Amino acid sequence: MKKNDLKKFGKIFTKYLLIISILLILLDFTFHRHAYFSIEEIYGFPAFFGFISFVFIVLVGKWLRKFLMRKEDYYDE
Amino acid sequence: MIPGLVMILFSIVLPVIPNYFRHPAMLLSVFLSSLSLFNGYGIFLEWDILGLNLILYQSDSLTFPFAIIFHIAAVLVIIFSWHNKNLMEQMATLAYAGSAIGALHAGDFFSLFIWWEATALTSVFIVFAGNTLASRNAAMRYLIIQVSSGVLLLIGTCLMLYQTGNHNLTTLDLNSDFGKFIFIAFGIKAAFPLLNGWLQDSYPESSVTGTVALSAFTTKLAIYALARTFPGTDSLIWIGAIMTAFPVFFAVIENDLRRVLSFSLNNQLGFMVVGIGIGTELSLNGTVAHAFVHIIYKALLFMSMGAVLYRTGTTKASELGGLYKYMPLTTIFCIVGAMSISAFPLFSGFVAKSLIMSSLGGAGMVLIYFVLFFASAGVLEHSGIKIPYFAFFAHERKTSVKEAPLNMLIAMGIAAFLCIGIGVYPRYLYQILPYAVEYQPYTLDHIISQLQLLVFAILAFLFLIKFKLYPSEIKSTVLNSDWFYRRMLPGIGRPFFKMISNVIEKFYFNLGFVFNFLLGKSKKYNNSSFIKVTTPSFATLILIIVLFIMLLIAVI
Repeated sequence: MKKNDLKKFGKIFTKYLLIISILLILLDFTFHRHAYFSIEEIYGFPAFFGFISFVFIVLVGKWLRKFLMRKEDYYDE
Repeated sequence: MIPGLVMILFSIVLPVIPNYFRHPAMLLSVFLSSLSLFNGYGIFLEWDILGLNLILYQSDSLTFPFAIIFHIAAVLVIIFSWHNKNLMEQMATLAYAGSAIGALHAGDFFSLFIWWEATALTSVFIVFAGNTLASRNAAMRYLIIQVSSGVLLLIGTCLMLYQTGNHNLTTLDLNSDFGKFIFIAFGIKAAFPLLNGWLQDSYPESSVTGTVALSAFTTKLAIYALARTFPGTDSLIWIGAIMTAFPVFFAVIENDLRRVLSFSLNNQLGFMVVGIGIGTELSLNGTVAHAFVHIIYKALLFMSMGAVLYRTGTTKASELGGLYKYMPLTTIFCIVGAMSISAFPLFSGFVAKSLIMSSLGGAGMVLIYFVLFFASAGVLEHSGIKIPYFAFFAHERKTSVKEAPLNMLIAMGIAAFLCIGIGVYPRYLYQILPYAVEYQPYTLDHIISQLQLLVFAILAFLFLIKFKLYPSEIKSTVLNSDWFYRRMLPGIGRPFFKMISNVIEKFYFNLGFVFNFLLGKSKKYNNSSFIKVTTPSFATLILIIVLFIMLLIAVI
């Protein structure tokens, strides 16, 4: 096995994921998606919400390191 | 016989069974216990003792699904730990699973209390079997917290008996005194916010196999107990929503992947607690369904990380990566677990979580609905992506390792099969739920909505990785609510204790001085140990303090 297997796989994965995500957005325009709350029925809302939530979680988590991160042997006495 | 009791009996005789036959015997005991599932619903065993009527064995539509999944979990754990020759862990695991099953069938608070403590006392040995200094210390903390939960339950039960003359396992009102005690007792085991520290503290310190056993029973027993006694309690909706949201931030920065899974477990419990809080038939069905599928995929994820730990000796994200080449089957099983917990359509998480989301939607709770929607993205982040990505991909691995042993692969295979099976044919799961509710999870609206959320969240991950915004894995300790009793309490307590002990020591020293002074003139007693007052040792000091506190309480 070659060293760049993982990179190649990553590229293929990204490509297909992009295709799927575009399809999912396009699908939204083909029919009216029902939801419990009207805001969720906006075109592409779940996609937008998912993307933003994910970035928010990761960046806030990263920021929380300032307060919550200690050395690995913090509790060892 | 009470279901589960046969497993405890087998656990007691396990030491005299030859090593080779122990695991078959364990499986046999689970099988014998599972025969009780065919008994139907009703009260089967009562015991009048000390003027109390204990209902030791009852079963209804709420206990039934939990009993099924507890038996399945026990089987998975036994197969997964087939290679493990640690007798103490085998005995503890079997007795622990048996106690949890017994607890499900308790019909009154006193019987529940007995089983409640039994699960604590048996499971602590599983943590202990981690066999490191860290695991032994974690086991002691775990024991204190778990037993405290039992004590609170006992106080609540006694108060209830005193105030109402009744101790049957029925729905309680949170406004009553005893209700509060019992609520907190359940809340500790259900890992409510700020009461959750023990979970992330102890589970990752257990052995390769121990964590799998631990992940299945204690917390879900608490969910069962909450569903039985506090359905429709409004505050549970908020508590649950907070539980789904806050662990996701901790999971992002935690380095130990089994601890990440423990945070994820906490987040999953939040979904179930919200379902209990709404309290409709649909939402309670959702809670039970979620507990059912959750036990399987969480066990699957813990098993895959257990296999990684077994083969590489670590679950630290900073030291793993690239295992997909060496452990391909484990990788696939882990991804199945990851997709199930992330609630991809056709996987078990989807058909269960939908019930809770629909009941929120039906009740018009916009804010909570979107908190849980947000938490779903969080689940995808830590369990769906972080776990498989950092363990199996991330970068190429230099040293080779072997695939997981056959027994582990079989256990993971069964769990993965169940994850997909329930996802594809949810009607079998829906049939065993407490209430008969018609529900169709696979509507086009719902599938598209969920897929959009998940796919774009994965895109966000790729985006963050691409622009190097994703936090790198750093060897570290992440502070959690266990900090309060591991750092803050000792921090305040030690100087305070030192002050008191100084006072007591001084008192005894002076007392000795007075004695010497009074008797000093008499040559006969001088330097005799007969009247000498010694300053107390450390243990004696503690005894003195305890006696003083008791005196104080008696006076009050």
